[in-house]
Amino acid sequence: MSETVNKTPTTFRERVMEALRSFGLPRLIIAGFLLLLFILAPFVNADLPMQITNTINRFSWNAVLVLAMVPMVHSGCGLNFGLPLGIVAGLLGGTLSIELGFRGPMSFFTSVLIATPFALLFGVGYGWLLNHIKGGEMMIATYVGFSSVSFMCMMWLLLPYHSPNMVWGLSGKGLRTTISLEGYYDKALANFLQINIGKFSIPVGTLLFFALLAFCMWAFLHTKTGTAMTAVGSNPTFARAAGINVDKIRLLSVVMSTWLGAVGILVYQQGFGFIQLYNAPFYMALPAVSAILIGGASVNKASIMNVIIGTFLFQGIVTMTPTVMNNMIHMDMSEVIRMIASNGMILYALTRKTEVRR
Amino acid sequence: MSQLVKPASGRSSGKGIGAFLAGNSVPIMFILICAVCIPISGFSVPYLLNEIMSRLGRNAFLILSLLIPIMAGMGLNFGMTLGAMAGEIALIFVSDWQIWGIPGMVLAMIVSIPFSVLLGLFCGKILNMAKGREMITSYIISFFINGVYQLVVLYMMGPIIPIAHSSIKLPRGYGIRNTVSLLNMRQSLDNAVSFRIGGVKIPVITLLIIAAMCLLIVWFRRTKLGQDMRAVGQDLQVAKDAGIDVERTRIISIVISTVLAGIGMIIYLQNMGNLSTYSSHSQVGMFCIAALLVGGASVDRASIGNVFLGVILFHTMFIVAPNAGTKITGDSMIGEYFRVFVSYGVITVALIMYETKKRRARASMGRQLEAEQQEAMRA
Amino acid sequence: MKNKKQWIARILTVAVLLGIAAVMFVIGRGHTVYFDNKTAEYNGTQYSAFQRVNVTVNGERMAKLSKRDRGMATWIGQDFKMELEVTENKGDDPKIIPVSIKLPYGMDGIVVNLPELVAGLPQEVWQSEFVPVATVEEPEEEVIPEDDMLGDF
Repeated sequence: MSETVNKTPTTFRERVMEALRSFGLPRLIIAGFLLLLFILAPFVNADLPMQITNTINRFSWNAVLVLAMVPMVHSGCGLNFGLPLGIVAGLLGGTLSIELGFRGPMSFFTSVLIATPFALLFGVGYGWLLNHIKGGEMMIATYVGFSSVSFMCMMWLLLPYHSPNMVWGLSGKGLRTTISLEGYYDKALANFLQINIGKFSIPVGTLLFFALLAFCMWAFLHTKTGTAMTAVGSNPTFARAAGINVDKIRLLSVVMSTWLGAVGILVYQQGFGFIQLYNAPFYMALPAVSAILIGGASVNKASIMNVIIGTFLFQGIVTMTPTVMNNMIHMDMSEVIRMIASNGMILYALTRKTEVRR
Repeated sequence: MSQLVKPASGRSSGKGIGAFLAGNSVPIMFILICAVCIPISGFSVPYLLNEIMSRLGRNAFLILSLLIPIMAGMGLNFGMTLGAMAGEIALIFVSDWQIWGIPGMVLAMIVSIPFSVLLGLFCGKILNMAKGREMITSYIISFFINGVYQLVVLYMMGPIIPIAHSSIKLPRGYGIRNTVSLLNMRQSLDNAVSFRIGGVKIPVITLLIIAAMCLLIVWFRRTKLGQDMRAVGQDLQVAKDAGIDVERTRIISIVISTVLAGIGMIIYLQNMGNLSTYSSHSQVGMFCIAALLVGGASVDRASIGNVFLGVILFHTMFIVAPNAGTKITGDSMIGEYFRVFVSYGVITVALIMYETKKRRARASMGRQLEAEQQEAMRA
Repeated sequence: MKNKKQWIARILTVAVLLGIAAVMFVIGRGHTVYFDNKTAEYNGTQYSAFQRVNVTVNGERMAKLSKRDRGMATWIGQDFKMELEVTENKGDDPKIIPVSIKLPYGMDGIVVNLPELVAGLPQEVWQSEFVPVATVEEPEEEVIPEDDMLGDF
């Protein structure tokens, strides 16, 4: 890369080329692919309004989980492959809330309340660990996530849960793999202020909740601590010289990320309608990671806009591909395409040159 | 800071027992787990020995394939899954061509080589673009290529790639079934020459092949290429300055590892007798790495001894955990989850120890540099 | 020049591997041989099934066939050898007939009509290809590519 700045792109064409180049080829491919699917949908008799509703619904479920990536990317801890740790905290919150008997939409907020101390505890431990292994965060995060999920697999069987809605019928001990949330916080947020226009159904409540959290994140990043966090991530030596306690800021970012992960899985569950235990959380970090990368983030730079665009594109592909492809060539390749696209996106991000100094 | 700096190696040399325990904490932990679980599980010693011998024959080659990338400084090669996939594709073809027994196995090994080489080249090139993040990148590569593999095996085999026998295809007419029976070459290598001692079956040829591989690795370390790899593994910059083509050497190490993983996968599958088309390879990657780490290897150092110790310890735990778990808690699933947890936990612990060691080494090097500078200034 | 030697070594290795592969291809071809003890007709002559045939392959008794029975054996390679202990009619002494057949490479399953074979007819007469009857498979579940960590390793 030459040091001298090339002449600033002046003509419209040059500016467009510049924007496209910084957008990145893989993202262009993915966005283009999604656009193609949207265009094809009416031609192949895919119910476009329903698909769009589905996309918006899935966006509302997943957006908070993707938002959880932002703090750690800002503070230089990389992509939070250890999101399952936060998810586990959320699962504990949800199951305990049901166990304690809270019902109805209020149980969503009690779940968040109960999940919070767990998320804080896990986050502090996780953050402390990451501070001791600067440089190898992503790999260790992945395995911390896995270890905690498989540890919880054992715990779900052993912990003394009694609520008849959650335990296995025959033995009365041990939680079931999938727990229905009907009567609890199923659609708690989604039904709030739901707008139905013709065939479109928009879960305004969930979107508002996400908007609230996103706004809080944005506001936080503009506070003194927030800017300190960004400084720690982009230039740790400068941050240290400016007197910022790098370790404390990183710890804060990890705790925030873990808490958002806990809330995120609860939002997901209220949209999806079920609590999924045992092996389900294992690979939940990857979709969130690739979503934010598709949205334009990199290993050390992420913005709220990235979250919104990325989640929309990712969930759009997940929703549209099966239906359109199925109607077109009667072959459901959606799972495979999703694997290739999302992992390819992560690979692209990992192979970019970064300016991170340790 | 004017305080005297302690010599850099002061901490690590330490008192004998303490250092030994710390350096080998993972295998020791495992020995303890096994010591507790074996009597509880209720398995007899001959049964255990027989099982371990059979698993040794099955897995040792695969784990040996992990040694070369560690030597070259690429860390734990999660990309060995790519080699496993190459081996599986070769086996699908060979069983479609109805080539049985040992000839079938040999043919599969040869057919897997071009696939392994291609996948290894791809993996190596991408890893070179992600220096410093090799492990997480190879981990994601394995997922990515898994997607490509499924694209090929689930959709292209049949319509685009000719498969003669509909018995291995899915009922819908294209794509390969979930399980492909390898009955016709099952145990062909193990049974070729084998005998039993006290209830333990010894598969002679398999063990000879593993021994040959070990000798090959020892010899390789002494060749120029091997020395180059070790230099690259120790210090990238120094190796580059010494004139070694660092990029090429790294790619070669991955290619060799992938080819070996392909061959090892075929040995593994002929022992199992059954190919789980869509899940065999991912299990293999994770468990082999866990086994190697259990044997005392670390991210930057692994020896042949680690391989064998790891196989024995890891698989003993693997066998006895489910039964022990059932006896202790009364729930049959606990043991199964426990062994998965332990596998992941072992990798986590090993990664953490590696990173902390790296940081400590860097910090002590920094202090040493500082001390030298102060000396130079005083002089 | 070192380069030239390297190239020759590489081409040689590839050639050797290809050679081994080709050999494996041939000697490893697996076949399933089915033997029928059925009455068959050819060119006007009837070749009746034997009262009893015992088929021995590789020292192991593979099948005891009465009239109209079918047995099978698997075999690797193209030179199939078996031993037939034929009892033509009730009360006859059993005759031991060693049989050596060249199996065609292309066929997976080969059906041999024993009476015609023993009578010494040409190979195309007593040999036919085994066509598997389209069996109704149990409905196989959709292929769910999932990561099952709980399998045996």
